Amino acid sequence: MSANASPRRALDRVRILDLSQVAIGPYTTLLLASLGAQVIKLESHTRGDTSRGPVTPVTATQLSLYPENDPGARPWNRTARYNQRNRGKLSVTANFATPGGKALVKRLVAVSDALVENFRASVLDRQGLGWEALRQVNPRLIYLKLSSQGATGPERDYGSLGSTLEQTAGIASVTGYTDGLPLMTNETYPDPVAAILGTGALIAGLRAVRQTGQGQFIDLSQREATVGLLGEAMMDFALNGRVAAPTGNRHPTMAPHGIFPCMGNSDQMEGNREQGTGKSGEQPNPQSAIRNPQSNDRWIAIAVQNDAQWQALRAAMGEPVWSQDERFATILGRTRHQDELEAQLARWTAGFDADELMHRLQRDGVPAGAVLDGATVVRDPQLVARGWFEQVTPTEVGRPYPMATPPWRMSGSAYAPLLPAPLLGEQNDLVFREILGLSEAEYEQYQRDGVISTEARW
Amino acid sequence: MTDGSILGDLTVLDVSHEVPAAYCTKLLAALGARVIKVEPPSGDPLRAQGPFKDDLPNPETSGTFLYLNTAKQSVTLDPATPSGQALLAQLIAGADVLVEDFPPGTLAGWGLGFRVLAERDPGLICCAITPFGQDGPYRDYLLTEIIAQALGGLMYTIGLPEREPLKIGGSPALHNAGIAAFTAIMAAIWQRDLTGEGQQIDVSIQEATAFTQISSSLLAAWTGEPHGRRPSPMVAAQDGWVTLGLEMGVAADIWPRICELIGRPDLAEDARFSTTAYRRENRDAFNEIVDEWVRGQSKEAIYHRLQAMRTIAGYVATVEDLYANAHLRERGFFRELDHPVAGPARYPGMPFRIGDFPAVEARAPLLGEHNRAVYAGELGLAAAEIVQLYERGVL
Repeated sequence: MSANASPRRALDRVRILDLSQVAIGPYTTLLLASLGAQVIKLESHTRGDTSRGPVTPVTATQLSLYPENDPGARPWNRTARYNQRNRGKLSVTANFATPGGKALVKRLVAVSDALVENFRASVLDRQGLGWEALRQVNPRLIYLKLSSQGATGPERDYGSLGSTLEQTAGIASVTGYTDGLPLMTNETYPDPVAAILGTGALIAGLRAVRQTGQGQFIDLSQREATVGLLGEAMMDFALNGRVAAPTGNRHPTMAPHGIFPCMGNSDQMEGNREQGTGKSGEQPNPQSAIRNPQSNDRWIAIAVQNDAQWQALRAAMGEPVWSQDERFATILGRTRHQDELEAQLARWTAGFDADELMHRLQRDGVPAGAVLDGATVVRDPQLVARGWFEQVTPTEVGRPYPMATPPWRMSGSAYAPLLPAPLLGEQNDLVFREILGLSEAEYEQYQRDGVISTEARW
Repeated sequence: MTDGSILGDLTVLDVSHEVPAAYCTKLLAALGARVIKVEPPSGDPLRAQGPFKDDLPNPETSGTFLYLNTAKQSVTLDPATPSGQALLAQLIAGADVLVEDFPPGTLAGWGLGFRVLAERDPGLICCAITPFGQDGPYRDYLLTEIIAQALGGLMYTIGLPEREPLKIGGSPALHNAGIAAFTAIMAAIWQRDLTGEGQQIDVSIQEATAFTQISSSLLAAWTGEPHGRRPSPMVAAQDGWVTLGLEMGVAADIWPRICELIGRPDLAEDARFSTTAYRRENRDAFNEIVDEWVRGQSKEAIYHRLQAMRTIAGYVATVEDLYANAHLRERGFFRELDHPVAGPARYPGMPFRIGDFPAVEARAPLLGEHNRAVYAGELGLAAAEIVQLYERGVL
């Protein structure tokens, strides 16, 4: 942030004006902040980032956004998602639907290197704050437009969440059990992926400006970024006209390959696990090929890439008679007889703790991994050893929560823990008076006019 | 900038065998970097991975390889031999960025570890992409896509509650790790432009995957309940699946118009559905009511009609639907590239566009296609030396 902040980071001295909301944009600017950029997050107090939640939460789903279901005095500073995605940023408020607010946005654009936004394609154009208007204000501006469908084309004004984008970008069409029903991640998978990509795209833009002196408009379509993950399936259609369908947890050239049941793990969140899975775990599904007899939702992933790994797996199992069956000796045979192979293997894995079995198989050279849920991933010994999650205490929450750090380590740009996410308008004074240099009278006038305010009203 | 592209002044050496590094350097090549892919004499293992053109295995027609290596050059060398290592050292000496995915410690074992390389060239950027990173108790563990999705905390939430966790199809976690490496390299290039100094980048595929679960770990700690697998919200249209998406971000004045659209204007007055929050809580009841309307139309018709109302509706697009999509076509997303062995095909294009800088688009190289140009033309090897290296199996 300040020039003398230590340690040195790649984007020290880069200033980003962040008009983005929800997930993809805030994740992009979170990564930019982690690389040292000064990120000024600008919201209107009449229409804040939707990850801040409602001003007056009512329903049970809304209340579940807050620690202990307690929205507190200023709920908009307390939601989990807002606090995770906005660490290390400065928060300012300006209602940019008003002439005064637009003027403030333009003044910030004039002193920023880049602007990030993820509204539907033409929203800021209609506000007079689109690329064509802002490049007049700052001819060296990088304008990163993150959108669902891209800045051009007939679907440019279409909107999505990560979940519906998984469908329109083709990911859902290849995700599902073998009965063909497409399924989604129950995360918003394309958001963080496109945010990592958008961060790199923005830095590429900065380099272009340095080379040419000219600002640039970057058009990142989240749909296209997500299709880019599906190279194999796309190329199978391009080369052979084949339309990929869900194949469950199976793989075309590895077998056994899948998810297998394990025993419970007594030291881990027993109560929570029962709460989260007990109800559904007791309803056997006749279609399910692989049941977890323990009803505890603990599983292991096993992927046997070649015959040597199959031999290692057989040895780990103690060479049971069934595994000596010649049908399983080659990859072709194992693929052809997968149902039986998986059923036999599942009977064996069910007697083990998932973590212990993973370590044992990995030591024998068999790719294996425990299926970690949101609680166990935070305690994963590898992630813990590398200090990958950091404990962050959001300002108006008062207890620490584990939060993700960047997906890279850089020796010359060391990661330093980020400050907690800012309260709504927390840096109004710093940014408007010290960075923009507004006089006392101007600043007060903006407040009287209702352009700048820290009281959420949406 | 030497040729009107953003990275046209940079040479990237890609010594890798897996999807993440290949996707990383594909993005760098699209921005104009000269990417030299170093393959073992038998070819990059990705050349042995399908889908193959006409399903006939051929190192020059792997769809996976062709897609991941657009606009790169290919040279061969066997890094397990001393002569191969000497050539590799010479290639690194001419590079600005090295991307590798050997097991941790491999390059150091050949005398080409970061410390040695940085001493020779303080400006070198070295990026290693490995399953679990360069240190820690799992450093030497093996990983494939499904292991990444399991240990990244991603797949636990995917699938139906009464069934086993489910992997996202294809290899998105591996691609995503490549994107993470790409972005870290861009940051390092930016920093090097200012300081002249290179650095070491350590990308763990597990961590890159864990970054893409943005709710599970947070909500488990926040609410005390793990975020689990849930029933599917999709409903069946005439020809596939749609999600109506009416429980998020629908403006209050739009709601009556949507009720009219689906032929049930009376629902506008139904308290169960009056707000987005109530529609989320009563989604199953609503989906039952609209079942007939949905079944009577194509998935894309429903998508366009609901999007026209500024909703977030989605439809499950197959790869065929994507290639046929008018929007993607109008944006010029797909690029036809010809290839001397695999023939012409339409490839997914660059996943972002930077104003004045069109992406560099060119086919993937043949195995060792640039051996002569690089070894004779740049390293100055004599023709006889090259022949000898071929005969000894080094090239």
